[in-house]
Order: sequence, then structure tokens, then C-alpha cells
Amino acid sequence: MRNWWDGIPALVQDLLLSGLFLLPLIGLGVVLLRRFAPWPLVRGILWRFRWPNVLFVLLIAISVGMGIGLIAQERGLRQGTAQAADKFDMVISAPGSELTMMLAAVFLQPTDVPMVDGPTYADIANHDRIAFAAPIGFGDSYAGHPIVGTIADFISHLTESGVEGRVWEQSGEAVVGALVRLEIGDRFEPAHGIGFTAEVGGHDGEELVVVGRMPRTGSPWDKAILIPIETVWEVHGLPNGHPFEEQGQIGPPFDPAYFPGTPAVIVRAESLAATYALRTEFTRENETMAFFPGTVLANLYSVMGDIRQAMSLMSIVTQVLVAISVLLGLFILSRLFQRQVAMLRALGAPRRFVMAVVWLYGVVLLGVGTALGLVFGLIAAAVLSLIVTQRTGVLVTASLGWGEVHLALAFLSVTALLSLLPALVVLRQPIAENLR
Amino acid sequence: MGQSLRVADLVVKSRSGRPLLTVPSLAADPGALIGIRGPSGAGKSTLLFAISGLLERVEGSVTWDETEILALPIEQRTAFRAAHMGMIFQDLLLFEELSADQNAGVVSLFGQPSRRGKVNEQGGAHLAALGLSDTARSVVSYSGGERQRVAIARALASDPKILLADEPTASLDRANADRLIDDLTGLVRAVGKTMIVVSHDALLLKRMDRVLTIRDGQIAADEVPA
Repeated sequence: MRNWWDGIPALVQDLLLSGLFLLPLIGLGVVLLRRFAPWPLVRGILWRFRWPNVLFVLLIAISVGMGIGLIAQERGLRQGTAQAADKFDMVISAPGSELTMMLAAVFLQPTDVPMVDGPTYADIANHDRIAFAAPIGFGDSYAGHPIVGTIADFISHLTESGVEGRVWEQSGEAVVGALVRLEIGDRFEPAHGIGFTAEVGGHDGEELVVVGRMPRTGSPWDKAILIPIETVWEVHGLPNGHPFEEQGQIGPPFDPAYFPGTPAVIVRAESLAATYALRTEFTRENETMAFFPGTVLANLYSVMGDIRQAMSLMSIVTQVLVAISVLLGLFILSRLFQRQVAMLRALGAPRRFVMAVVWLYGVVLLGVGTALGLVFGLIAAAVLSLIVTQRTGVLVTASLGWGEVHLALAFLSVTALLSLLPALVVLRQPIAENLR
Repeated sequence: MGQSLRVADLVVKSRSGRPLLTVPSLAADPGALIGIRGPSGAGKSTLLFAISGLLERVEGSVTWDETEILALPIEQRTAFRAAHMGMIFQDLLLFEELSADQNAGVVSLFGQPSRRGKVNEQGGAHLAALGLSDTARSVVSYSGGERQRVAIARALASDPKILLADEPTASLDRANADRLIDDLTGLVRAVGKTMIVVSHDALLLKRMDRVLTIRDGQIAADEVPA
């Protein structure tokens, strides 16, 4: 059975699961509605009590939407961060927290970290199994955009389709990320520091000029301004990595004697197998730490997995609470048409027909509310994604997954079963008394 | 001989067990029109509800042809009502959510699917016979007299053998009441139903074959109107 299930396509699995979730609803519908035509009456009741009905539908939609939006958003965030880290095969830095270093190097959230020195960098850069080793340097910003020093090879690696304009050829030139509001040819002065602590005018006279723009990468680097690492060192009054007689040189090789240090080196290995060997080789006690950002993220996701489960649980609890509220609402509404029920019974309507009317009425409210909830959820997730993308640069795309659809269908099925309760209560009322 | 209604040793009790209505014997021959009158609270409507099997604390028997109605389990009693009885309630009790023609054919919603079309057709025909047009409108927009006619059409739509009517002219002015009496008695006689009508309306009762007077839960008189 397990083998058969695993062997069928994912889409078929999801469709089968959807059908399974809907089975109680469909089964109950067939049993209750068989040979009856309650729709004209249900439609009439829906219209007669339209404002309470609209309120119920909105209540259900908001609850379902909140649950679904949170789950969709969490998945979008996971996919977005994974995609943002995709270009970062391996990072080598001074020993410390891998998470802190990943946030700094991949997601451009720098903190004070120890530096990798010149000889160590040379050791990494000159390794025969490394395609390129990009030092990065940060600490400055412009209009909220982090300014990151690196080498041109890294830009080529980040942007497979190349840049608009060109990559820098000399110190003082910059390539901006896709989301930076600077045009090619614009000139600007960097501020010392990042964020609230940025000191405008901290680098007076150190004017930079934009010569290129990267295409969208879906990572925080879209909001960054990239400049030669030499420029970062120069504006801070440090040696620029090259001896005096090679002052015009931009990019590797760097002279270890003039290398001021870098918080992290982003490494691209010649092959996947080499990456693992390099991690082992450059994981040296008290000297360097090599890690795969993807692995760090995976560890983070496993922690987030618990959060996700908590979120799912919260979402289910919310929906159960709403289901109870809806049920109470249905009880109240069914009291309103108690007389109609007595009339139906007096006219000879079987119990099953009365149950069919009350049940179908509830199911229509729940069905419309759930469907609307899926739309609300998608909209909520899209808005949240937009906010996260704008704030972090990580491209988060919200999409409706089968998990959310299954959750909504399960909610619908359970609440549809519960909708029988008001019908049963109404049927217990004495007919003659409700006719007088 | 057609089907007839027989009531014997009928006692309707209150929750506390106090007798509310006692009918030792009552017979209605096929096609008979029987009027019931009496002061308010005498038990007139209770008799109609008891005959239709809607009350719970009832002793005795109500027989239609060979069927002992009160001995039937609840659901079978309900089905019997649907198949053989038409009811016109004192407050009309129309479905305000529905149009006049939907109200007239409401029994079709839970009746046999094969008869659905016929019931709707008959409901429409009775509405037309009672002088109602533009029946796709909601009954909320109808006058009292028009609503009364819709209730009559509903009661007759499923072609019942017995018609039970509770104060069908109560909410109407004289002119409308007279017209309704003509329509109702004319239609019922034309289709050969047995009808039991509770009413205070002397003109309506005059058109009946027999008139029973109920007082304090007992049949005090059984007369042929002059």
C-alpha cells in the first residue's frame, strides 16, 4: 500500500487526499439530500437572513484566511531564504557562530566578528580546488543600502546574465543591486555605519560612481551597493591589499602583507565533491571555520519546523474556536426559523428534509466562508511577503499549497458534520406549540 | 363508498395530565364539509391538530379509511399527513422567503421526485383558480387576502383527501372573506374533499354540511346549518 502510494504522482496524491477530506461532507450530503429539493428554501433563508449570514461568512473567511496565510507565509519565507542562499556554496570565516556569520555574509546583517587575516585568505584563494574566493567587507551604507566590498568574480557568480552597464574597473566605482534607487552615472558619498547608527558625512570626499546594475537575484544583495573591496579598505584608511607599486590593481591576487582582513570569504569550489573536502580542510581550530549556508539554514528550518507545527496548531485551534462560534450562530439562526421548521413538519416534511435544510444552509455559509478564506489567506500571505521582501530583500513569494487546501477542506468537512447539531436540536421542538 | 374520517374516544391532555378536549365520537363522510365553532380556548384548533397527529398527549383513535393515524410512528404519521392532509393555519404560516408559487408547491420539495412537477403544476393551477397572478413575487408583498389564497393553494397542491382549515377568514375584511368563502367551498366541493373548518365566521359556517359547537373541551352541539 505504502509503495503504491509513493509510486503515484504528487498531484494525484494531493487530489486523492482532497477527496478523502471531502468524503464525510459528500457522504453526508448524499444521505441527507437524496430525493429532496431543499435548495429553493435554503436560498430563500440565506437571502432573508443575509446580513447575519454575511457576518458569519466573513468570520469564517477571516479565520481560515489567517491560518492559511500564516502557513503559506512561513513556507514562502523558507523557500525565499533557501533561494537567497543558493549562490553561497561555502563561507569561510574566523571561528564563531555559523548562524551569525551566515546572517552577515549571506543576508547582509553584519555584526562585529573576528577577521580572516591575509595569509589565511591567501591560503584559501590559492587553493587549487577553489574557483574563486571572494572576500567581503562591510560597515558603510548609503540611504539605508549596505555597501559591500568584494571582487568582480563574485558579481559574475551572483548574476549569471551579467550586469546592466559594466562591472567596476577601478576603485571608487560601484555596481548597485536591482532594488537600489540609484541610476548608472549617479554619484554618492557613503555613510559610515549601517542603519540608525550610520554616520552621514563620515566619509566626506570619498565619492563613488555607479557604473552597473545587477539583475534581480531574490536575495538581500538586491538592496546592496557593491564596490571593490579595495575601496572599502581605502575609505577606512587601511592598506588596499596591494603593494604600493600595484596601487591601481583591482581584485585578486592580494598581497598578504597588505591585506587588512575580511570577516568572511565566500568560496566557490571547482566541484561539489571538492566543497566537502574544503570544508574539512578549512575547519581549523582557533583559525578558520568553514560551513555551508544551506546546512545552517536547514538546521534553522528544523527549529522553525517546531514553530511551524506550533503555528499549524494555533491555526487549527483558531479554526476550531471559529467553528464553535459558527455553530452557536447556527443555533441562534435555527431558533429564528423554528416556526418554519414546525410548518414543514406540519405539512408533512420528514425529519431528514428538515435536517437537509438546516444542514445545507450551514454548509453553504461554511463553504463560501472557506473559499473566501483561501482567497483572504493568499492575499494576507502576499501582503506579508511584500513587506518581508521590502524589508529584507529576500524574495518571498506566497503561493497556495495543497497543504493549505487540505487544511481548508478538513475544516469544511468537520464543521459540516457539526452543522447537524443545530438541525437535531430544532427537530426536538414540539411542532404544535411553534405553530401557534 | 369513499374514504371517511372517524374519531373515537379522543382525549387530548395538557402536560399536567388535565383533559383539554374530549371527543367521544365524530364521523365525517367523504366530501363532507364540517364547521367547528366555539369560544376562544374551547379546543377547536386542538381538535384540528389532534386529527392531523401533531399533538403528543392524545388518547383514542383517529381513523382515515383503514389507517389508524394516532397509532402510526411519528415519521409515518408525518408521511400520512403529507400524502392525505392539507392544512390551512390560522396565521397562514407561509414561507416568507419564497414566492407565491413556491409556497403553493412547497410540499414538492420533500415529496416524491416523480410527483414534484405535478404538485407544482397543481399549486399553480389553484393559485390561478383563486384569482392570483404574478405569482413569482415574494409573498411578503401580498395582501392578507392574497396570502390567504396562497395558503389554500398550498393546502390543495398535493391533492389531499382531507382539508383542515383553522380560521381561514380571520384576517380578512368582509368583502375579501366572502370571496374567499366562495372560492374555498367552491374549490373543495369541485374536487370532492372532506373539509373540517374552524371558524367564527357565521357566513362560512352556513356553507358547511354540519357545524359542531365546542365548549370547554366538549362537543356541545352538532347541527346542520339553516
